[in-house]
Amino acid sequence: MPHTAGTLAEVRRDPGGTAAAPAARTAPVPVRPLGKPASRAAGRAGLKRSHFRQARLPWLLLLPQLLILALFFFIPALRALAQAFLLADPFGTRMQFVWFDNFIALLESPEYQSSVWVTIWFTLAQNVLTITVAGILAFATDRVIRTRGLYRTVILLPYAIAPVIAGILWAFLFNPAVGPIAHALHALGVGWDPNRNGWDAFVLVTLAATWKHICYDYVFLVAALLAVPASLLEAAAVDGAGPALRFVRISLPMIGPTVFFLLVMNFVYGLFETFAIIDAVTHGGPAGATMILVYKVYQDGFVHIDLGSSAAQSVLLMIFAVILTMLQFRYVERNVNYDV
Amino acid sequence: MTTTRKAFITGLAAACLTATGLATPAAAQKVEVQFWHAMGGVLGERVDELVKNFNASQTKYTVVAVNKGNYDEVINGTIAAYRAKKQPHMVQIYERGFMTMLLSEAIVPVHDLMAEKKYQIDWSDFIKPVAGYYMYKGKLMSMPFNSSTPILWYNKEHFEKAGFKDGPAATWQEFEKQLYEIKSKGVAECGSSLAGDYFWSLIENYSVVNDQPFGTQSNGFDGLDTEFVYNKTLVVQQVTRLKKWVDDGVMQIAGQGLNPEQLYTSGKCSTFFASTAAHGSVERNARIKWSATYLPVEQGITARNSTIGGATIWVLKGHKPEEYDAVAAFLNFLASPEQQVWWHKVTGYVPLTTTAYKMAKQEGYYASHPTREIAVLQLSRGTPTPNSQGFRFGNFTQTTFALRQELEAVFSNKKTPQQALEDAVRRGNDILRQFEKLNAGKY
Repeated sequence: MPHTAGTLAEVRRDPGGTAAAPAARTAPVPVRPLGKPASRAAGRAGLKRSHFRQARLPWLLLLPQLLILALFFFIPALRALAQAFLLADPFGTRMQFVWFDNFIALLESPEYQSSVWVTIWFTLAQNVLTITVAGILAFATDRVIRTRGLYRTVILLPYAIAPVIAGILWAFLFNPAVGPIAHALHALGVGWDPNRNGWDAFVLVTLAATWKHICYDYVFLVAALLAVPASLLEAAAVDGAGPALRFVRISLPMIGPTVFFLLVMNFVYGLFETFAIIDAVTHGGPAGATMILVYKVYQDGFVHIDLGSSAAQSVLLMIFAVILTMLQFRYVERNVNYDV
Repeated sequence: MTTTRKAFITGLAAACLTATGLATPAAAQKVEVQFWHAMGGVLGERVDELVKNFNASQTKYTVVAVNKGNYDEVINGTIAAYRAKKQPHMVQIYERGFMTMLLSEAIVPVHDLMAEKKYQIDWSDFIKPVAGYYMYKGKLMSMPFNSSTPILWYNKEHFEKAGFKDGPAATWQEFEKQLYEIKSKGVAECGSSLAGDYFWSLIENYSVVNDQPFGTQSNGFDGLDTEFVYNKTLVVQQVTRLKKWVDDGVMQIAGQGLNPEQLYTSGKCSTFFASTAAHGSVERNARIKWSATYLPVEQGITARNSTIGGATIWVLKGHKPEEYDAVAAFLNFLASPEQQVWWHKVTGYVPLTTTAYKMAKQEGYYASHPTREIAVLQLSRGTPTPNSQGFRFGNFTQTTFALRQELEAVFSNKKTPQQALEDAVRRGNDILRQFEKLNAGKY
């Protein structure tokens, strides 16, 4: 890595013209920054001096956002943390402080361990599949000439479908008793039955979750690919590099930040937002084969009203998500070049 | 800016005052009470009708019925509302929530409420398996509302074609032979469709009908230290049988995206173990000659009564005395035989009192609707034993979920029936111990 931390930081600080800039630490902006970092930084300092003389105004402006965060994030998170150490009656009439009992019970339970593994495999499979398919589709966009608009629309459509509806659709198509795709599979001699076979169910929810999220990755990848300078690609073409080689050697490294951003986003999606799909397709079954952590939190908390365990699970899930994200920043981001 | 703000606040205050001003005269005339329930679709319409009839029958009270989703959502919504001190006056809670509600310190026992409000209700008139389930220390804790029991639905034509003129056999052994013959003769593609609540009909009620203990301490009636024991009873044999049926394609699992009842009502599967409350939808949807009969029993065992499922109405604490007048009046209305008979007829749930049952019988209702009587007769068959009076387990939804997960592991060849039931019992007992720890000395 020839690039210094200084340039990296400066590039990140660059507003880049999009609203996502403040979140650049976790979400690098896919559009490549163009302006000169030094002059922009100076301009911003000037803006600060002239417009924010009093300390009150920025706080006032921040207040609505802070309030929302406090109400919907900090207070619930703290309460969950407190609840995780309690054995409590659902109605809140009495409770016992049980130290780490809820956590110990979870970590010792084979069902929880299995749920952790299911989650890891599910998010990994979903992530790799989503970004690969979206990458291929984005790569192909330039090669579709006649019906490019239609092509893009078709790929984007799943994003407009509510996750539950998507889930029910997939559950129906692959239902062994009535689903047309299941019938086709049976005709091919595949003993497809997600109601009994845990592996089939796992494949089904992974496919459904991937299908739902491809469009998201696709949009970012197409935008990033558009920003790759044509001059470089043409130069490579003149040197005799074919489309595939140009994609792997030039486009891919140049869209590295976007790919990294999408990897993180896909993990977040897989960990938290696939809830509705699981709920509609398998309910976490059969025998826990698709019981991802977030669905288990819901099941134990909202269906079985085991608030202590559910709270402990959400605390563990948060730790799990933070570790995963940190690992990604540590090992994946190293190979991402922000300064091309 | 300050003036605009002031004007805005004044306007807001004025708006609020007007709103309350408008609401007050109506509230002064009638006492309004909230009733949260879990009845959707056709059943929801029936509840609305019921409440409308009550509201029209008198001038003092108004009951407002709100459908708060399914049973799980209703109990959760109630808990959240109670914690925020915005609880409804009455709420419909499923039988599995009995212990949670009973020990919640958030309820007013129905028996006490009716006594305090001077309503004469003959509690002994309630049919035993219903009253017994919801009675604690001789008092009915909540108002039985919709009670059902599983029965065996079958396709008459299929059984006749396969040469069984009398319908399904009375024992599991004979019944199994029939199902295999129906399939092998090509009469139907599958013998039985596995219902979503099969754990209730085919495991729990199987234990009850065959007089097998499900847990110690009379299935939890005698103490919180109850432990599950179904890993040592005929349930093992039953699970092995079901697994064999599923493997042989005699029993089909509908799975997500398909209602198991459709496999039966469309004529694909010959039988269906499900609640008597399915009458409403079977009558409407079935394109087959349907009928129903009693649940089978193991060879050599005298069949006992089955047990109930469904829900009751709990009265919650924390409201004004005049509002409890309204609640009591509504519950009294529900208990009247005429209401019971009407509810029984339009929904398929069982009549809750002996008087109501006799009334329906005298009208000749069962002569024209014989399958409607099966549930009542099955529920009141023989004398209840400690194994057949019902279940009283804490966190019952959670323990049931553990059992279901383990049964799924059997169907997906991950575990043997014995091993799965051992695991279900182990998990279930851990959950029971949590409940015992939290509620020690309260039951």
